[in-house]
Parts: sequence; C-alpha cells; structure tokens
Amino acid sequence: MAEVKQVTIWARGVTQDMEGRHLSLLVANSADKDGKFVQAWDDYADLPDRVGVPLRKYARISEEEIEMRYEYENKQPNVVIVMDDTIIKGMDILHGMPKGGVLVVNSKRSADDLLKFIPNKELLSSITVVDASGIAADVAVDFMGSEGGVEVAAVGKGISAPLAGAASKATGLLKLESVVAVAANKEGVKQGAEAAKVKKL
Amino acid sequence: MSDFKFKIPKHLEVPMGAVIPAPVKENPGMITGNWRTERPVIDHEACTLCLNCFIFCPDACWHLDEKTEKMMWNARYCKGCMICVNECPADCLTPQNELDFPKGVVRLDKPF
Repeated sequence: MAEVKQVTIWARGVTQDMEGRHLSLLVANSADKDGKFVQAWDDYADLPDRVGVPLRKYARISEEEIEMRYEYENKQPNVVIVMDDTIIKGMDILHGMPKGGVLVVNSKRSADDLLKFIPNKELLSSITVVDASGIAADVAVDFMGSEGGVEVAAVGKGISAPLAGAASKATGLLKLESVVAVAANKEGVKQGAEAAKVKKL
Repeated sequence: MSDFKFKIPKHLEVPMGAVIPAPVKENPGMITGNWRTERPVIDHEACTLCLNCFIFCPDACWHLDEKTEKMMWNARYCKGCMICVNECPADCLTPQNELDFPKGVVRLDKPF
C-alpha cells in the first residue's frame, strides 16, 4: 500500500466547526481534482461540540486506493492545520506525528513566537503562519450544520479558503489551481497562499 | 432468626451502596482550561472584593484568598466565557489573549 498522507485540522467548537469541516473538504476535494484517492470526515469523539472545545477534522490523500476504511482517527498526521493559534497551548497537536511533519497555523504572531509553545517541535520540518482571520475578516460567518450529510452552502467561504491556500504552499500535496477551483472564496485562497510565511526548521 | 447470616463468599463482600470518592475541590478528569482563547486579568488595586466573579463563574474558577485578601483565578478550569468580565462592577477585569502568557499551559492529548 502506498503511503497515505494524513491531514488533521484543529478548530474551535461551534464558532469554527463549519469552517473546519470545509477546510477538510477543500483539502480532499482539491486532491480529488488532481486524480488522487481521498477521504474527509469529522472526529466522532469530539461531538457534540461546545463553544471553544478543540475539535478535530480529518482528511487523507493517497496515490492509490485507501484501505484504512475503518480507522476513524488519523493516528499519524503528516500535516496539522490549526485554525486558532491558542489551541497549540492547550493541546498536544503534534501527537503521533512522524518526523518531518508540516504545521500550518492561523495566527497574527510570528513563527518563533508560536514555537515557544510547542515542546515537541523537533518533529516538524516546517511551520507556516498565515493570518487567515485577517484575510477573511469581512466574510459573514454562519453556523450551518451538516446534519443532512451534504453541504448546502458553498464550501470554503470563510477562513478555510486562505488556510487551504497556505496548506497548498506549505505541503505541496495540493495544487493551488485545484484549490482555487473547488473553493467559493477564490480570491481568499490566492491571498492566503501569498501571505503564508513558510519557515523551514 | 437474629443470628441468621447470609452465606456470601469472601470475595463478594462489598459495602452497601457504591462508594465514589468525590473531588473535594478539583476534578482532574474534566480539565477545560484548553477551551480558552482569552483569559480574564485582574487588577487587584481596583478590585473591591464584591465576589461577583465568584458568584457568577459557572466553573467556580474564582475564590477569595483570605490571607492576602485577593481574588485568585484557576487557570486549569477557566473556559474563557468572560462572564466575570461582564459582571464586574468595578471594571477591574480585562480579557487578554491566551498566548500573551507563557505560563498556565494545559496540554492534553485528547480535547477532554
């Protein structure tokens, strides 16, 4: 079996629940557009979410068919995307990460500022910081759920768009054109990829 | 009949009712400090010890330290709901971003 790239997304409960789900969908849908095999889902153990609870959203990307069908958690995430920078203080976000992982953080702060709060930073090969909340600040956010299982609203309107752009720049897993093609906020994806500062460690 | 005894095997002899050790002050199994994005910072000079923060806090994170006569805050359980900031009549509480403080790290492997 070819290596399956695991992407774990950390988001705050309720306020970022929809955008976190959209980010995992953007990662999976854009890789799907490149002809890869993908999976995207929410973490069942984190539900029901309360305001501010750290939530996990997952995506998997593989060149070959993914056979990890009944594993509901990403035990060894290669890419970790954090949608709120204060989560890195409260959670061991790099839990289970193999050496050489990639971290993408939505923050106004510098990468060195954030690395102070990560004790196991030797696992990382690079850290990327993008101010996605600033880029998508004027976008109205709704808290629509996905009870029906199908996204009614367009995917990638808020802060998920710039973060997906930053993730494509940081990881190289996704092509920027395909992320732009699947996201609703196309300008936000481009701005996020431009504004993202990648720091090699 | 008064000296009747049930024949209970030794290994099944248990006290009547379940004995559960209740947490006296803190429950380490339900730490919620990592839900917080902002924390309330107290200005002890302006504080009038009205105990409104103690009364309104849903997680009992504020208590009066009687020795120093100062309100003490519990970082391990404060969810950052900012109800205390709203209810403070002396305006001595201000919300401040969590990453401004190097201390008070609550790092868990699972969200809760």
